[in-house]
Amino acid sequence: MVGPTASLSPLVRADGSASYQCPSTGSNILGSVNAPVELPGRRDALKPEDATVEVFVKPGTAPASVGERYVEGIIRGVVGRLILGRERGYQRRGVVITLAIVGGENVSRGDSYLTLLPALLHTALLALLSASVPLSMTFSATVLSVDAAGKITREPSAEDAAAAKSLHVLAFSSKGHLLLNESQGAFDFDTWERVRERASAICHGTSVGEDGDVAMVESADGQPLEGTIRETVEDQVHRDYSWKIDAA
Amino acid sequence: MNKEAPLSISERDFILNALREDVRLDGRAADQLRPLNVTFGEEYGHVKVQLGRTSLIVRISAEVTKPHDDRPFDGLFTIAMELTAMGSPAWDNGRQGDLETYVTNVLDRVVRHSNALDTESLCIVKGVSCWSIRADVHITDYDGNLIDAACIGIMAGLQHFRRQDAVVKDGQVIVYGLDERVPVALNITHKPLSITFHTFDEGKKVILDATRKEEQASEADVVIGLNNAGDVCFMSKFSGSGVDAMVFVDKTSVALEKVKEINAIIDKALQADLSKRAKTGMLEESRAENDRQPELEV
Repeated sequence: MVGPTASLSPLVRADGSASYQCPSTGSNILGSVNAPVELPGRRDALKPEDATVEVFVKPGTAPASVGERYVEGIIRGVVGRLILGRERGYQRRGVVITLAIVGGENVSRGDSYLTLLPALLHTALLALLSASVPLSMTFSATVLSVDAAGKITREPSAEDAAAAKSLHVLAFSSKGHLLLNESQGAFDFDTWERVRERASAICHGTSVGEDGDVAMVESADGQPLEGTIRETVEDQVHRDYSWKIDAA
Repeated sequence: MNKEAPLSISERDFILNALREDVRLDGRAADQLRPLNVTFGEEYGHVKVQLGRTSLIVRISAEVTKPHDDRPFDGLFTIAMELTAMGSPAWDNGRQGDLETYVTNVLDRVVRHSNALDTESLCIVKGVSCWSIRADVHITDYDGNLIDAACIGIMAGLQHFRRQDAVVKDGQVIVYGLDERVPVALNITHKPLSITFHTFDEGKKVILDATRKEEQASEADVVIGLNNAGDVCFMSKFSGSGVDAMVFVDKTSVALEKVKEINAIIDKALQADLSKRAKTGMLEESRAENDRQPELEV
């Protein structure tokens, strides 16, 4: 499987930005982060000792509605815990994350946003990194669908997702901890456990079997996502500091 | 907030004094556009416009809906533009500012009210179903002259977009997928574009395609919307100080020249994209001049 393609800082005005293309769903997402910014007129919402995280998801070809508000809440929950809002200069300020779906299929009204959620999460993370917002850790996320026969599909297309029995989005921190678990549909604990193992393998490249054996599954799922995210940032840093590296 | 940080007094004076000596910060002549680049994405109606450092993405989409009761023969066409914090840190997400209302209004008048898109051709069944065309404008970078950039994007998008074919059979509407039948281009009656001028020194200095800083230093703006044939379909002097009537007369001919120039750039980009698609798609096979297999009746 081909990994996602991403680039950092394509925009000029925003403090940090990222463009992200997910090869399986074909969606192209542009994210921007402005931080730290003043948020006047929202004094009651601001926390005196912490940064306020705002997430805005803008669909490509439709007005924003309930589905976007719902997914904004999930992203705010994940990202809000990673941002070190108590750092100098961030208290009482806002971290404004804007994610626009600028290419590929749109989520139609009333459909599940879970297929797009990992792409949105990755874009938000890369934009935050591009804006140099202090973070406690990075993460990687994936979406898996389980069909009636119990077969797990990684990053299903819209049709696959609609036919699936259950959909699961899992995010793992850079240390391997489970950060997010969003599921939809009917499933049992055994199924979820298999999904978690597969997701962990996709994100980190290793899966631990029941007997404690660590199996390398890189061949089946390609490069682990964690590595892809890391490499994108590494490439950018390498380019940004090329003047320094060349001089040394 | 919804307001850019104001220019400092010295910065404003610098821009003004330079303009009095016929010099612009980026070295352009008064009637010169910034470099314009129009590119198309994978799907139909996906346009990326780069005008200097202002950039935006326009996406055109179509869906079948019910027409308005008072206009049963007309399809729907909406232009949706929402300024988000992506374009400029000064814009608030989910709050409509003055700029958004103003730009949306001008775009509506130039593109929609001038009937650039023939809405009657969008009718499928009278009073029952019609196509609803939606143009979404995503501002990715804002550095002045939002109106002209958005107008270029929307017009290029409408010309690039292909909607699915719909057929009425025995009172039933059948919509064929993009790979089932050759998608249909929209019916464009004319190609209007807006050209924005900004005035300084009580209308004595007039410049075209101002950057964000020049916009902030200016006294007033004049928007002229016209098509290739020189038909003026929109003219506005919205706010600010007065402008001499001769400015409108003089600048309309400048605007016409620019509209022709921009439309030529759009046409060139469209042709290049079309020939690229011809290599990969079914364009040659689906030409109207080719022999048709008579449709088999069951």
